[in-house]
Amino acid sequence: MSVIVGSSLMQRFGSEVALDGVDIEVDAGEHLAVLGDNGAGKTTLLRILATAARPTSGSLEIFGLNAIIERRRLRSVIGFVAHAPGLYPALSARENLEFYCTLQGVEHTRVSEVLELVGLSELAARPADKLSRGAQQRLAIGRAVLHDPKLLVLDEADASLDSGGADLLARVMRGRTAVIATHDHALANRLCQRTLLLRRGRVVGVPTRLRVVQ
Amino acid sequence: MKTIAVALAVARKDLRSEWRTRELVPALAQFIVLALVIANFGFQIDSRNAPAIAPGVLWMALVFAGLVAFGRAFAAEREQSSLEAMLMTPASPSAIFAGKALAASLLLILCEAVLLPALALFFGVPLSFEVVSAVLLATVGMAVLGCLFAAMVARVRARELLLPLLTLPLWIPFIVFGGQAVQAAMGGSGGAGNSSGLLIDLDILFVVLTSLTARFVLDD
Repeated sequence: MSVIVGSSLMQRFGSEVALDGVDIEVDAGEHLAVLGDNGAGKTTLLRILATAARPTSGSLEIFGLNAIIERRRLRSVIGFVAHAPGLYPALSARENLEFYCTLQGVEHTRVSEVLELVGLSELAARPADKLSRGAQQRLAIGRAVLHDPKLLVLDEADASLDSGGADLLARVMRGRTAVIATHDHALANRLCQRTLLLRRGRVVGVPTRLRVVQ
Repeated sequence: MKTIAVALAVARKDLRSEWRTRELVPALAQFIVLALVIANFGFQIDSRNAPAIAPGVLWMALVFAGLVAFGRAFAAEREQSSLEAMLMTPASPSAIFAGKALAASLLLILCEAVLLPALALFFGVPLSFEVVSAVLLATVGMAVLGCLFAAMVARVRARELLLPLLTLPLWIPFIVFGGQAVQAAMGGSGGAGNSSGLLIDLDILFVVLTSLTARFVLDD
């Protein structure tokens, strides 16, 4: 069963075409890597899939719902890691997650589990602006899985992560449908079953099935 | 119930951030005191003209402090790229907006706690319940309007310019009726009763209007 079905997705910013008729289909439990150079349209595509942006034209269904109209309903089942961590610098790692627990309607007891999952238990009381860039990224990933989403959309979530980053991403993606944009082909090969290559807003070739490295 | 919990969580988060960083309130309090000092030297104040001049100075200081306070409410979220993360949750944008407006109002009220005694000290005008209530009533309406426009211009490059241009015309009724109420309470002319009633009406009108429009502004 397909979780994401996008057809002829187009995104324009003024006269600039960021996405030009992209078709995308992702099955339940599948991990798809979106590859491409800077400016290829990866972030634009992922923001549309995460319901953070509306496409200029085209259709998109996520979990059978029209993702352009029913964005708020879908947000309870989507976890999104954007380019910027978007944390509150004066709040501690724990307070950042507790705040999002309230917004997500999740029990605060979930915070400890998530801090453990992303390896930040020992830094839980440290303000977000005193965390390293990698730890901030881990916290942003933790925030994205706080509500146990069925679909994860990760926009270069591997950026700034240390050598354990790939393991962390594998842990959070396990059991979920996931779309990840990355420049790291080895990581894509390790984490994903298929890739989608974008160039100047268009899909190049057909989505490739990757060799899964054990 | 969830809406109230979200609004309170957003307000608590903003107030906690301000308490730890102390970015806004000390600067605004200093600005208010400086404005009063300048006005004190600029006008020839005596016991006869103080009740006529003091309300004008009060509202001028409040308007400019309010513009900064409400502008920061969403500008900080934008700088931290955290507004989108908040809106990516299933929480109602109206509840998020209510929380932001509540926190910004409380911060402005904190500044008013400096402004009103300082005004009484510099201008020798009485600080009565009527003055405080008029200022608080105006703060509610000014806060919801200020935060709505701050949210609207948060993604625009020239937001510092646009915010006063959009907000000030709609703040005029609060300044007019608030000014009348304060002037009457300070011993000048004007009907305090009517003005306070009109301020309450305006508050209800703009709280309802902004809560209806907030979701369209925040959730583009």
